[in-house]
Amino acid sequence: MSGKVHSINKPGFLVYALLAAFVLGSVFPLYWSYVMGTVTKERTLQSPPPLVPGGHFIDNAKRVLDQIDFWSALLNSVVVSSIGAFSVVAFSTLAGYAFAKLRFKGSNMLMAFIVMTLAVPTQLALVPMLKQFSNLGLDGTLTAVTLPWLVTAFGVFFMRQYLVDAIPDELIDAARVDGCSQIRIVWTVAVPAARPAMAILALFTFMSVWTDFMWPLLVLQNSDVQTLQTALDKLKIAPGQGLSDLALLQAGTIMATIPLLLLFIATGRHLVSGIMQGAVKG
Amino acid sequence: MLKTSPQASRSPQGPSALRQRLSRWDVKYAPYLFVAPFFIVFAVIGLYPLLYTGYLSFFSWPRFGGAVGDPVGWANYVHVITDPVFHKALVNTVGIFLLSSVPQVVVATIIAALLDTNLRGRSWWRMSVLLPYVVAPAAAALIWSAIFADRSGLANQLLGVVGIDPIGWHTDRFASWTAIATMVNWRWTGYNTLIILAAMQAVSRDLYESASLDGAGSARQFWNITLPSIRPTMIFVIVTSTMGGLQIFTEPRLFDTNLQHQGGANYQFQTLTMYVFNTANSATDPYPRAAAAAWLLFLLIVGIALLNYVVTRAIQNRGAAR
Amino acid sequence: MSNNSKPWLRRPRTALAACAVASLVAGLTACGGGDGDGDEQSSLGKDDTLTITTFSEFGYDDQIEKWNADPERPFKIKQTKIAEWDTWKESMTKALQAGTELPDVIAVEGDAMAALVAEGANEQFADISDPELDGRWVEYAYKAGQTTDGKQIGYPTDIGPEAICYRADLFEKAGLPSDPEGAAALFKDWDTYYKTGEQFTKKLPKTKWYDASGSVAQAMLNQVEFPFQTEDQKVNVENDELKAVYDTVTKYSPTLSTKVVQWGEDWQANFTNDGFATMPCPGWMFANIKSSAPDVTGWRIADAFPGGGGNWGGSFLAVPASGAHTEEAQEVADYLTNAESQVSASKAAGNFPGNLEAQKTLQAENAEDPYFGNAKTTEILTNRAAAVTPGVPFKGDKYSDVLGLFQTAIQRVDEGEDPETSWTTFVGAVDKL
Repeated sequence: MSGKVHSINKPGFLVYALLAAFVLGSVFPLYWSYVMGTVTKERTLQSPPPLVPGGHFIDNAKRVLDQIDFWSALLNSVVVSSIGAFSVVAFSTLAGYAFAKLRFKGSNMLMAFIVMTLAVPTQLALVPMLKQFSNLGLDGTLTAVTLPWLVTAFGVFFMRQYLVDAIPDELIDAARVDGCSQIRIVWTVAVPAARPAMAILALFTFMSVWTDFMWPLLVLQNSDVQTLQTALDKLKIAPGQGLSDLALLQAGTIMATIPLLLLFIATGRHLVSGIMQGAVKG
Repeated sequence: MLKTSPQASRSPQGPSALRQRLSRWDVKYAPYLFVAPFFIVFAVIGLYPLLYTGYLSFFSWPRFGGAVGDPVGWANYVHVITDPVFHKALVNTVGIFLLSSVPQVVVATIIAALLDTNLRGRSWWRMSVLLPYVVAPAAAALIWSAIFADRSGLANQLLGVVGIDPIGWHTDRFASWTAIATMVNWRWTGYNTLIILAAMQAVSRDLYESASLDGAGSARQFWNITLPSIRPTMIFVIVTSTMGGLQIFTEPRLFDTNLQHQGGANYQFQTLTMYVFNTANSATDPYPRAAAAAWLLFLLIVGIALLNYVVTRAIQNRGAAR
Repeated sequence: MSNNSKPWLRRPRTALAACAVASLVAGLTACGGGDGDGDEQSSLGKDDTLTITTFSEFGYDDQIEKWNADPERPFKIKQTKIAEWDTWKESMTKALQAGTELPDVIAVEGDAMAALVAEGANEQFADISDPELDGRWVEYAYKAGQTTDGKQIGYPTDIGPEAICYRADLFEKAGLPSDPEGAAALFKDWDTYYKTGEQFTKKLPKTKWYDASGSVAQAMLNQVEFPFQTEDQKVNVENDELKAVYDTVTKYSPTLSTKVVQWGEDWQANFTNDGFATMPCPGWMFANIKSSAPDVTGWRIADAFPGGGGNWGGSFLAVPASGAHTEEAQEVADYLTNAESQVSASKAAGNFPGNLEAQKTLQAENAEDPYFGNAKTTEILTNRAAAVTPGVPFKGDKYSDVLGLFQTAIQRVDEGEDPETSWTTFVGAVDKL
């Protein structure tokens, strides 16, 4: 590692201003969603819309807890997302390394095939997929929710593209000359070089599984097992209440997002600063 | 170092012969072992759906029929290709795609470059660009629908303050594309930024140092060193956002106020995936027609992604050659 | 049921509607949870459970709990609630199609019932005809759950007879009679209704006459005998009666309509900001008005509907033939639609029951609704139900599909398209169905 990053270019005011503008744009809708979750249902309907938080978040949150089994859904989401993140990173790193650095027959074709699977329109694949899971007797289980997240085309492609330039071939050759087995090279050479990408992929996968909705909704439709996103969907049923209760829905959304946000803040710093440690070239 | 097991060392051929053979196998087969998990999972959940929909697209299957009906040849494909709504959906999809993916990749690259500098509070900046991604797409649509409501929405009220007439976010074709692209860009730009940033971090710092010794400014460095060095990742970002962008569904579907989910009353923002979805719930041969549409969409995406790949490579090769 | 249940009741902003996506799929399996292993009818023990799936809120919780608490009952009931009808419709359709497992009893929305009683679909449902139940329900609802050859496949739950809800305070400002009886005279036929509307909007130009073009269009076409299909299920939308409805609605759209889409943000905002003065009002709409405009005091209900009666919404319980316990399932459907259950459900979810005895019970309680100026809502809705002509409109197997396209055509005109162009697009889209 060559220490300082671009020590030559000290970012000027303009850089900060641009970034600040971008972040502001990113955060505002989030802020506004928070505002909607802290006002009364009636206030969400009035014009002009509220722009500052009200004091009703606790009330709304209590209603959420009354209507859905929030805690078990939370636990399920944590389990599913953790398994998904771990598994995607492990398998994608292995496969990505193989595609990036190892020569084997058919590797180009197999890689192209993997990328092509990204083009399969999910809308239609879901129906037979569900049938398949039903045949396997897995519908209504967390296993069914997790299975598609064991390894993803996205993850393999991502790791491959990252590793192709991130590891100098000489390093691998040297390891081979030392008599290292393939799997050991992965462990001693590829993993350290891939760490930043692995961190990013883990974070992304965790978030993607956490916010995944379509698939869990399908397989868990008649199950008592729910993830956070499918449980939130049930908030739309409000007996005798008329139209949808935006305050309740937003409060639920906030409650489902807070754990993710906490995790993000707790680990995110390490994850993104981990990006730096990856620069093995240099 | 390769550690052979005690049994292996005692084998008749002698330790080194076996070690060599093992090593050869290791080189030959380990790669297949490494990539196997993907294909196993895909075989279980992906292959069957693909083949099944392909097969079905050549049959009739009435809406409530319990069994697949007669083979109909290419009729389902003909139905889709001659449907004016399909044509409209095709244009809409490409339009929304251009309004979302292109600015997204460009902005993400710029923001990544800004983040790849010696910022104060670097980690915080990096994390905050990813914030929108913690919001589930459905929840994001909830927020943005309220912002883009044609009359009572926040966007038009703000425009009103500065004296601009309200925009028909749902009725005007281009405005609806813009609104949907905004929703997409909001959630995904930060995501792509971090991917690109990770690649930029892997670029050797020595390259920059020698370049600046040669007197290259930061813009030149970005163009001549950074971009060529992160080419594989750029290809990745472009290909995945192309594929994702052409399959856009949740945002326009949830943005839609038309009760039939036509993507606006005049189909002005119906996308191809929405078309597939609607067809799957239509009155005549819903599933086979939807399967035909889905296969057409699949081929289209592959085609555009390939084109994209070729173009990106060509441009970047030229950039690298300079 | 109540409010959220109707298919047209799609509130896009309930974004979570993403399930839509899901729905496509859902069918294939899911629902099941039942004990039916596909075997022929098998017997049930006390600890066995029959499943029922409802959408939105049917208000059955108490009655199901009561059943399960009763040691005399031969089995238990378990309910699954799906948030929205659209989701459930698509799941159910796919399950029927793929022949995968369905719950023992399923809830079906009224307009979709038309497609299920049609030939080719009704075979998928058990015949739950029971002569003892003749006369239990409002006739038009009972008939809507029947096939042409008299096989009953659905028991009616709630119904949606329409009255007119209006803003008495705005009527007063416009110099119109504002008491329910006086206002009712203005709603006796469509001609008077529209004429009064023109008068009203001249006085109060900022307020439109009705909530959405779609709601009056639906009300009018539901008084046409064969709006979309002839009795032999042939699609025919180019008939004079339908065109007349279309022309009338699009003619008044510029002056009388808010031109917003029902259930959207803007539509909902209009309840409080004096956006419109009248709306077709089935019983389940009352809750929507109250929750959208809790602070407005002027909402009243007139015991009248232009051009006779009209029904909007209402659901059924049906028993899929593939189930392993169709007889017991029929028992469940019977129990949940009896007078006691329907009174309980009506109180829990705010629906107006199709069960006649339940209507009487509710009427005897003579409940007045203070929000609507102490209107006797049950009495009004009972009268409105009596005004509906059974069998009109004829709902063919594609009724809800064409209805959606028709509403979309009217929306295009609201958004500024030329009515004739929009009509041509509509006819073309119907051809592609």
